[in-house]
Amino acid sequence: MSRLPQVIGRACVILALLAQTALAQAIPYQRPVDTAPQADSIGGGYKVPAVQKPLPRDYWLQVLDVVALAAAMGISVWLVLKRRSRKWLTALTIGSLAYFGFYREGCICPIGSLQNVVVALADPKYSIPMVVTATFVLPLVVALYFGRAFCGGVCALGAIQELVVLKPVQVPRRLDRALGLLKYVYLGLAILFAVKPALARDFLICRFDPFVGFFRRTGAPHMLILGGAFLVVGMFVGRPYCRYLCPYGGLLAWCTRLARRGVTITPNKELDCGLCAGACPYGAIERMRAVRRNCLYCARCYAYCPRERGVAS
Amino acid sequence: MSQDLTRRTVLAVLAGGAAFLVKKANGQIVWQVNASRCINSRLFEAGVEACNLCTTECVVALSAVRAVNEYSKCGRCNICPAYFNITSAVNELGQPSEKLCPRDAIARKAIGKVDPEDPANNFYEYIIDEEKCDGCGKCVMKCKEPLGLGSITLRVRYDKCVNCNYCSILKACPQNALMQLPIDQAL
Repeated sequence: MSRLPQVIGRACVILALLAQTALAQAIPYQRPVDTAPQADSIGGGYKVPAVQKPLPRDYWLQVLDVVALAAAMGISVWLVLKRRSRKWLTALTIGSLAYFGFYREGCICPIGSLQNVVVALADPKYSIPMVVTATFVLPLVVALYFGRAFCGGVCALGAIQELVVLKPVQVPRRLDRALGLLKYVYLGLAILFAVKPALARDFLICRFDPFVGFFRRTGAPHMLILGGAFLVVGMFVGRPYCRYLCPYGGLLAWCTRLARRGVTITPNKELDCGLCAGACPYGAIERMRAVRRNCLYCARCYAYCPRERGVAS
Repeated sequence: MSQDLTRRTVLAVLAGGAAFLVKKANGQIVWQVNASRCINSRLFEAGVEACNLCTTECVVALSAVRAVNEYSKCGRCNICPAYFNITSAVNELGQPSEKLCPRDAIARKAIGKVDPEDPANNFYEYIIDEEKCDGCGKCVMKCKEPLGLGSITLRVRYDKCVNCNYCSILKACPQNALMQLPIDQAL
């Protein structure tokens, strides 16, 4: 008699076994209980364990990211325009790559936030946190005053390319211009895909971000290969993603036309020897003058200037 | 440089846009699995293969989605269909010989004293080790009517989720079962 429940239990399991193989819908496995027993019905001082609820990154840390972004841009402007120091800018680049890239795993970045902003503007049901808005707006505001300070030493995508520039070739001016238009095409496409209805929506910039796989140390193989290809090309063609594809770079480039200051090569101070033009891997020095639209704030022109070196030492 | 377009105008446009977005802002938003859409947790889908797209599609190495046992709803069954593979052979203890979880992330612990004479009144606690769980959904598929009480569901782990602009699991999910919610409304 006492073995009876056990036998029933066993029979249930065997029945379940048979039924699952025979007919997927009807499973005669008997659920032993109809309602969940609670602490009082179980007794014996039993306490229902709490469900783990890991919280997301603290909000103040997200605010700190925005502050870090603003601070890094401030430092970038100061290092390039005031100190004219390529060395310290490289240090800032490495720092930004470590923090915004590898530590924050490339999220959140102003480039991708472009899409969120577009969707939030277009879709009444979609809203974005304040930190995302700030991340999007800050580099543009800085560009309106000082040029693309965000691109130099702050942007993680730029930084990873900046650090692999090995033996840059000068891209023929006309080809450089033509390829440069690609980023506006990409910008248009990204906006087009982002404003689609919610279920058809796609964030192209994030999906085809070539470097985020490295930052996260995981990713689809084809994207990692693409990222690797960009880095290999980037050894000889300075920062190809920034110059030819980055949609946010397109916005920043447009903002620089109103910039009050920027990297300037002035004949009164420099020599007009052309060393800086040869040193610029990004084709941003035309007729001995820096083109703010294309200048990526790397300060190489200053580092290569004999007069500047004289000043420094 | 065009003369009519000034920095002030652009700044005003930016500020206006930002003010609009900030006004609209709804606090922090997070991704969450919509249990009423997820094929693993919604009813009348028993018996089909569990969907494991949450495991394979997430950009985080070990998916940010994991199974959560809402303990207050758990039946604490002697033979839990989410813990045991109930189609496996029965061993000498009268239990299925195989476990269901491929990563052995569920722990089974008896509550109080076990009475071998009365298995229906013995309760067991099933704790999911969320560090091990990769959200494959097998247990979720089993723990629902008619086998279980539906206490296990898939949820996004906020500390693991990198809060992608557009969730790559959602991109792949045939049921569109992921949604973005303000954090205070999410589970």
